[in-house]
Amino acid sequence: MTKETGISAIFKREWLRISSSKICIWGIFVAPLLSMIILLWMMGSGLPSRIPIAVVDLDNTTTTRTLIRQLDAFEKTDIKYKSLSFREARQQMERMEIYAILTIPKDFTEDAISGNRPKLVYYTNNAFLISGSLLFQDLKTISTLASAAVGLQTAEAKGFTENQIMPILQPITIDAHPLGNPWLNYSVYLNNILMPGILQLIILMFTVSCFGSEIKAGRGSYLMAMGDNSILKVIIGKLLPYTIIYTGIAFFFISIFYYINNFPLHSGFWPMFLNYFCLILAAQGMGVILLGIFRNYRLSLSIASLIGMVSFSITGFSFSTLAMDGSLSALSNFFPLRHFFLIYVDQALNSIPVGYSMYQYAALLVFVLLAVFFFGVIRKMLTDNVYEE
Amino acid sequence: MKKLLLDIYYVWINELKVVFKDGAVILLFFIVPLAYPVLYSFIYNNETAHEVKVVVVDDSNSALSREFKRKVDATADVKIIGYATDMEEAREAMRRKEAYGIMYIPRDFSKNINTQQQTQISVFSDMSSLLFYKAMLLSATEVSLDMGADIRVAETGGGSQEEDAATRQTVENQWVTMYNPQNGFASFLVPAILILIIQQTLILGIATIVGTHNDKKRFTIASHTAQGKSVHPVKLTIGKAFCYASLYMLISVWVLRVIPYIFKFPQIGDPLTIAAFLMPFLLAATFFAMTLSYFCSQREFGMMLFVFTSVLFIFISGISWPWTAIPEPIKAIAYIAPSTPGIHGFIKINTMGATLTDVWLEYIALWIQAGIYCTTAVFMYKWWIQNYDPEYKGMVRN
Repeated sequence: MTKETGISAIFKREWLRISSSKICIWGIFVAPLLSMIILLWMMGSGLPSRIPIAVVDLDNTTTTRTLIRQLDAFEKTDIKYKSLSFREARQQMERMEIYAILTIPKDFTEDAISGNRPKLVYYTNNAFLISGSLLFQDLKTISTLASAAVGLQTAEAKGFTENQIMPILQPITIDAHPLGNPWLNYSVYLNNILMPGILQLIILMFTVSCFGSEIKAGRGSYLMAMGDNSILKVIIGKLLPYTIIYTGIAFFFISIFYYINNFPLHSGFWPMFLNYFCLILAAQGMGVILLGIFRNYRLSLSIASLIGMVSFSITGFSFSTLAMDGSLSALSNFFPLRHFFLIYVDQALNSIPVGYSMYQYAALLVFVLLAVFFFGVIRKMLTDNVYEE
Repeated sequence: MKKLLLDIYYVWINELKVVFKDGAVILLFFIVPLAYPVLYSFIYNNETAHEVKVVVVDDSNSALSREFKRKVDATADVKIIGYATDMEEAREAMRRKEAYGIMYIPRDFSKNINTQQQTQISVFSDMSSLLFYKAMLLSATEVSLDMGADIRVAETGGGSQEEDAATRQTVENQWVTMYNPQNGFASFLVPAILILIIQQTLILGIATIVGTHNDKKRFTIASHTAQGKSVHPVKLTIGKAFCYASLYMLISVWVLRVIPYIFKFPQIGDPLTIAAFLMPFLLAATFFAMTLSYFCSQREFGMMLFVFTSVLFIFISGISWPWTAIPEPIKAIAYIAPSTPGIHGFIKINTMGATLTDVWLEYIALWIQAGIYCTTAVFMYKWWIQNYDPEYKGMVRN
C-alpha cells in the first residue's frame, strides 16, 4: 500500500504535512515571530523611562524647586504634576496616571538649615512592583542629594574645604557590578528566556500533535508500515523535520538577540547555540514522554501547554527558585527551560568555562534518553490506532 | 419578546448540557481555574528573596571592615556564607553556585576613612535574578550610609546630642510602599494572572466545544436545527454566552475572591464593586472567546492556536513593564484583549481600593468590547453555520 518506506519517506511526508497545515504555519512560524516582534518592540528602550510621578511641594522655595528640577532630569522619572494636594495626587495614583508621590513638608528648607531634620516622604505604587522599584531608586537618590546639599552648606560654614566635603558626606560608597548585564536591561533580562520559553511551549505541543493527529486520522498503522515497523525510524522520520525548523528558529533568535540587538553573549556563539539545540531536543523528548504517559492526544496536549506555561514561572528568571518553596525548587529540574536558563546565565552572561555547565547540558539530553523508554508505548498507540476524545 | 427569551433560555440550557458532557471542557472550565491559581500563588508565595548568599573578600581586615561585614550579615536580605582570600577564590565560589555575589573591601578601606578620604566597596552580583542584585545593593548601601553617618559624627560632630543627630542626617527620608507593603512578587503578579486565567480558559474551553462540533460534523446540533428549530444566530450567540458567563461568575468567586484571601494578597476592594466590574469583563471575555473559537477547526487545536497568547497578553497588559512606557501601537494592540482593561480595573479595585468611578475608563472599554465582540461572534456564527450546516442551507440531511 505504500510506495516508499524508511526514514526519508516519512521525513518527506512530514515535510509536506507541515507546509500544507494552517495550524503548523500559525503555531510554529507565526506565533514565535509575532511574540518576538511585540516583546522586543515593547521593551525596546531596555529600561522603562519617564515614569510619571507627582510632587506635593508644601514648602515651595528655591531649594525645593531646584530639587524638583533635578529629580525631573533623571532618566526614569517624569514629574507630571507639581501642584496637586496629596489627596488629589493619591487619586491620580489610583487611576494609574502616576506611579509615585514625593511629599516635601512645609518649612522644609528652614528646618533643614536649622538642623531640625525635616522628612521627605515618598510613596511608590508597588502594585506595579517594577515601576515602584525603579522610581524608588530615583527618589532615594534625590533624598540623599537633598541631605548632601544641606550638609554641604553646613560643612562649608564649619570651614571644611571642598575636597574634604564629599568624603565627609559619604565616607563609604558602593560600586555595583551587575555581572554580564551591566545596563540592567530588562529586554535582555526577560526576552532571553521568554522567547526560548515560547519555543519550548510550541515544541512540546507540536511534538504531541504530530503523533496524536496521525492516530486521530487513523493513519497510525499506515505510518508504522511506512517505517518498516520500526518505531525508531518512524519517530526520527517524523521529528527530524521539526528539529530542523526549530533549529532555524533558534538561529533566527540568536541572530536577532546577540548580533542585531547586541545582547551580551560573553561566551561566543557555540555554547549558546548548543544550549538552544539541546533545549529543542529536550522539549521534543518531553513531548514524546508526555504522549507516552497520558496516551490521549487531547490530554497530553493540555498537560504539554500546562508545563509550557508553568515553565515561565518555575524557571526562576524573574522570581528566583531559591526564593521558592524547596519542593518547587526541586521540581524545577523537570523543566527543560530551567536547565536552558542556568546554562544561559553561566555562558552568555557570566562566561565561565563550559565545564561548569556540563551537568546542565547533560540534564537536557537526559530528557531525550528518557523519551526512548516511551518508544514502545508510542509504537503500541500507533499500531492499535484508537483515538479517544 | 417572549419567544426571544424562551429561545435564549433554551440555548442556554442546551449549552450547559454540552459543557457538562465533555471532560475536556470540564477540565478547562473548572479544574484549571481551580488548580492554576493555587499553583501560581504557591510559586510566588514567599514574595521576596531573603538571605541571598554572598562571599566577602576582605583585604582590609580592620575593625571598620569587620563592622561592615557584621552589619551586612545582620540584614534580612543578605547572608555572608564565607570569606575568600582573593577575588579568584570568590569567583570560583560563584561558579560553583555556592554564592550569588561578592563584596570586595579594599586594602585601604580603613586607612582612607581615617584620613578622611572617600573609600569604595565593590559589589559583584550574579544577574540570574534581579532580586539578588537588588538585595545585595540595597543592603550594602543601607549599611554604608549608616556607617558613614557614624563616621561623620566622629569627624565633624562633637556638639550636643541634637547636633550629632543633625550631622548624621540633615534630611530624613521615608519610603512608603503603597498597596503592596511587603514589596512582594506574588501580590503584584498573581492578581493579573488570575484575570488572565479567566479569559484564557474561556477561550480554550469554547474553542474545544467548537472544534468538537467540527470533528463530529455536529453543526446541526450546534445550531439546534436538528431538533427542528430555527434559532437565529443572535439568540444562539447570546444564549451560549450567558451559559459560559454564568458558569464563570461562580468560578470567579473562587479565582478572584477566595484565592487572594487564602494566600493573603492585598484585597482592599469592595466585593460589590468587583462584582459590578466583573459583569462587562466576563461578557467581553466570553464574546471575545466565542469570536476566536470559530478558528478552531479540530477539538485539539485550541491549545496550539491560543496558549502562547497568554504570554503576550500578560506582558502587554502593563503589569510589569509600566503602561506609560509601552509604545502607543502596542497599547492599541493590548486593548484588543479584554484582559488588558480587565487587569487594570481589577488591580485598581482589588489591590488599590478604587471605586467604580475611578475605573470608568476600563469599565466603558469593557462594555464596548462586549458589544463589538458580540457582533463579531454573531457574524462568525452565521459564517460557520452557512459554511457547514447543510440543514440550515436547506439541504437534505443524510
